[in-house]
Amino acid sequence: MDWIGLYPTWYEPGVGSGWVVGIMATIHVLASHTSVGAAILFAYLAVLAYRRNQPQLLDYIRKYGMFLLVFSYVIGSITGPGIWFTTTVASPRGISALIHSFVWKWATEWVFFVIEVVGVYLVVYLAGRVDQRTHMRIAVIFGMASYTTMLIILGILSFMLVPGKEIWFTEGGYLNGFYGANTFAQLAMRTAFMFTMTAVVGGIVAARITDPAFKREISRKLAWLGIVSSLVGAALFQWYIRSLPETAHLVMDNRLPSYFQPAILTVLLGILAYFVMTLISSRTLVVWGASLATVSILLFGLWPEEVARESIRKPWVAGQYVYSNQVIGRDVPGMRIKSEIPLLESHGFLKTQVFLPDNLRVVTPDNMLKVGESLALTTCSNCHSLSNTGMRPLHSYFGNTTNVAEVEAYLRGALATGATLYMPMIPLKPEEAEALAVFIVNMKQPQAAIAHIQHKAALAQADPAATSAASFHEVR
Amino acid sequence: MNSAMLYALRDVAGVPSHPIVFLVLGVLTFALHIAAVHVMLGGTALALANAFSRNPMRRRLAAAMTTTAKIAVSVAVVLGVAPLLFVQVTYDPFWYTSNVLSAWWVVGFIVLLIAGYMALYFFYGRNHDLADPQHPVRSGWSLLASLALFLLVGFIMHVLTNQMLSPDKWMQWYAPNGVIDPRGHTLHDYNAWRFGFFIALAAPVTGAWLYAYRRYLAAGRQADAAYMQWVGTLAARLLNFGGIVALVFLGAWMASLPAGLSGFSTSPVVLLTVALLLLTVALPALLGQRLLQTSLGYAPFALGAVALIAVAALREVLRWSVLKGVYGYDVFTYPLHIDWYSNVLFFATFALIGGTTLAYFLSIAWKVGHTPQGQVYTPSPAIDRIGTAALWLIGLWLVQFFVVGFIVWAR
Repeated sequence: MDWIGLYPTWYEPGVGSGWVVGIMATIHVLASHTSVGAAILFAYLAVLAYRRNQPQLLDYIRKYGMFLLVFSYVIGSITGPGIWFTTTVASPRGISALIHSFVWKWATEWVFFVIEVVGVYLVVYLAGRVDQRTHMRIAVIFGMASYTTMLIILGILSFMLVPGKEIWFTEGGYLNGFYGANTFAQLAMRTAFMFTMTAVVGGIVAARITDPAFKREISRKLAWLGIVSSLVGAALFQWYIRSLPETAHLVMDNRLPSYFQPAILTVLLGILAYFVMTLISSRTLVVWGASLATVSILLFGLWPEEVARESIRKPWVAGQYVYSNQVIGRDVPGMRIKSEIPLLESHGFLKTQVFLPDNLRVVTPDNMLKVGESLALTTCSNCHSLSNTGMRPLHSYFGNTTNVAEVEAYLRGALATGATLYMPMIPLKPEEAEALAVFIVNMKQPQAAIAHIQHKAALAQADPAATSAASFHEVR
Repeated sequence: MNSAMLYALRDVAGVPSHPIVFLVLGVLTFALHIAAVHVMLGGTALALANAFSRNPMRRRLAAAMTTTAKIAVSVAVVLGVAPLLFVQVTYDPFWYTSNVLSAWWVVGFIVLLIAGYMALYFFYGRNHDLADPQHPVRSGWSLLASLALFLLVGFIMHVLTNQMLSPDKWMQWYAPNGVIDPRGHTLHDYNAWRFGFFIALAAPVTGAWLYAYRRYLAAGRQADAAYMQWVGTLAARLLNFGGIVALVFLGAWMASLPAGLSGFSTSPVVLLTVALLLLTVALPALLGQRLLQTSLGYAPFALGAVALIAVAALREVLRWSVLKGVYGYDVFTYPLHIDWYSNVLFFATFALIGGTTLAYFLSIAWKVGHTPQGQVYTPSPAIDRIGTAALWLIGLWLVQFFVVGFIVWAR
């Protein structure tokens, strides 16, 4: 008998495991994009400082770098592995798929990451202690190494959504998985917006400059960087949208929160207005204003973006072969990967799942609710909260019905056959669908679920043999 | 949990190189990571022990160790990424299960580590004049909090590693008495001797680090003889006493292994580890005054690093022995799906770009450290050439990324 290699499930009832990943990722994106953009900005300013003999630019690099040591190299460098940690517990087979395909890419990124961490200390602490030409060279190496980390992670992020080339499914090959239209579109868009973040966060440091002339100079540089990168980023966003797979467009059209587009548009216009304001008058560049702009990007720009990125991958979580509920939902001959759906269709979840107590492997009236709960944990809770809070509460997806048979019919119809586009195919056996339906109804109206269980128990008592054969037989 | 179940948990994509490659890299990078962790812990503890003194030498050391610890955390974090990557490749069934079973703490690890690091920065920011004994110490609580949080995150990591080795207990932890508990609120299993060993090692490693610090100061003529003498005495105490305590913990850890693994405690890897640790402890006595007067002052730390590679190998061999011997899981049977391009790209990047760039960066940092305050350092032509090579190599890497990418995309 084969097993389905599903891990135990972590269920976080407050916000849901998906949002824990989202919160970590949002914070990391702000910190890491800012640091990569700042590294390139530092390289540019260091070159200017050397060529124009403007040592005060090094002072700004040093101060911005000191700020980044905490902002990006404490928070950013810890939340980076933090995304691994949170995805490990929320979606172990999803992160495993990425790790096993791109371990050498990540290892390569790690080399640049080491260079980056050593580099930032040198850029910050050696300003004024080495000759300007050497400092410029260190800054340029630091900037280039930083950007390579973004190049690498972008390919992996794109693969998460869709493998670069369709041919990857049949022929495999790491390059086919890594490079594609979405890789370059996403890279270009993020490169632009990373400079927007660099300019906004850089304002927090620039606002403290006491020399009015120098503050004006830095303020103008940051403002132009922010304006151009925001406009270019907005244009590249259209390219990125066009590079998305068709399923992603359907999800965007039908399933994204209504606040998504207005929030993105508002924050973009707001940030543009902010940069225009600081361009006109550097006196308007103040610490609280720049901090507010940074928080706005975090809450109204990056958070909706991360939520959308998670949503448009549905029903997959990685590479369009690992379902969001961790089941391998597709053959990938190029990687000798077999879909687990046929095995589930034959034997169901209860008989094939590694992490299931033996007392839940056969459905009875006594354990029906608990079996349903375990199935909800396994097949639903990655995307749907099993409580009233958190993301997409499960019970709210079945209208007003409290009829077990109606819920079961949906589970065995649209869900088990994979007829719902953005949902994984979940081939539940009849008794599994019934148990899951009882659990779902129990969340809405416990009396209805209990009545159903009592009814089944009465049937079993009246005719144990028939009931056993009809309803509670071994599913394998 | 039988071996068929464990094999089912393996990733379906296989691994892109032979597992031995990942295991060896895991050992080497873990040794680097744990060395940085030990300096971080030892540096923070020394800062805490000396920051509140009025003695100028102790305050000077506290200031130096605060800066050391601050950088060591960065280094520990960045170096820790590699072994974390490699353990996921080879031991994914065990690492992922252990993490999910204590998920709440896994997320907490990140939050607590950020808090500990921020607390250290906070202390550093509040005490720029720490070396001056006339100035009162501000916000000393944050240094204590930082050390406590570092120890706590170390304990979490220990538990996650330890839980990997007990697949027979996983179901009982996940579903005690048949009732699933998916909250991940519990740290289920620890081995106090093993944890104690890795923490106690911070003392001898920090002792060896202090010898190197002393030699660095001596080479740059940056300290008086009394301070050198005092630092040397402290280093000797940490190395000798800490080394013995660590070996006692190691012995107790080995004694606590399950009956089926009793032979492991006298295996070559354990004996080699003990020998290297003892040699590291004894080395300063063997070198005598040369420790201060020649570059051999760095030898205790270099030998300590080699001993840590042996410790990392011991840890890896033990993991293999437990999982193969007790649970029948053989990591070397992981299906291969070799990808030569990514293999070559990594090793070329690691050796050429990593080697050249870090050689350039560290040479400059070293030389600047020996340049008197107020003077500007200008690198020699030889060092400049290394920098030029680093620039070209990274540039070449960027070009290949886009050229290969566009070719693949356009195909």
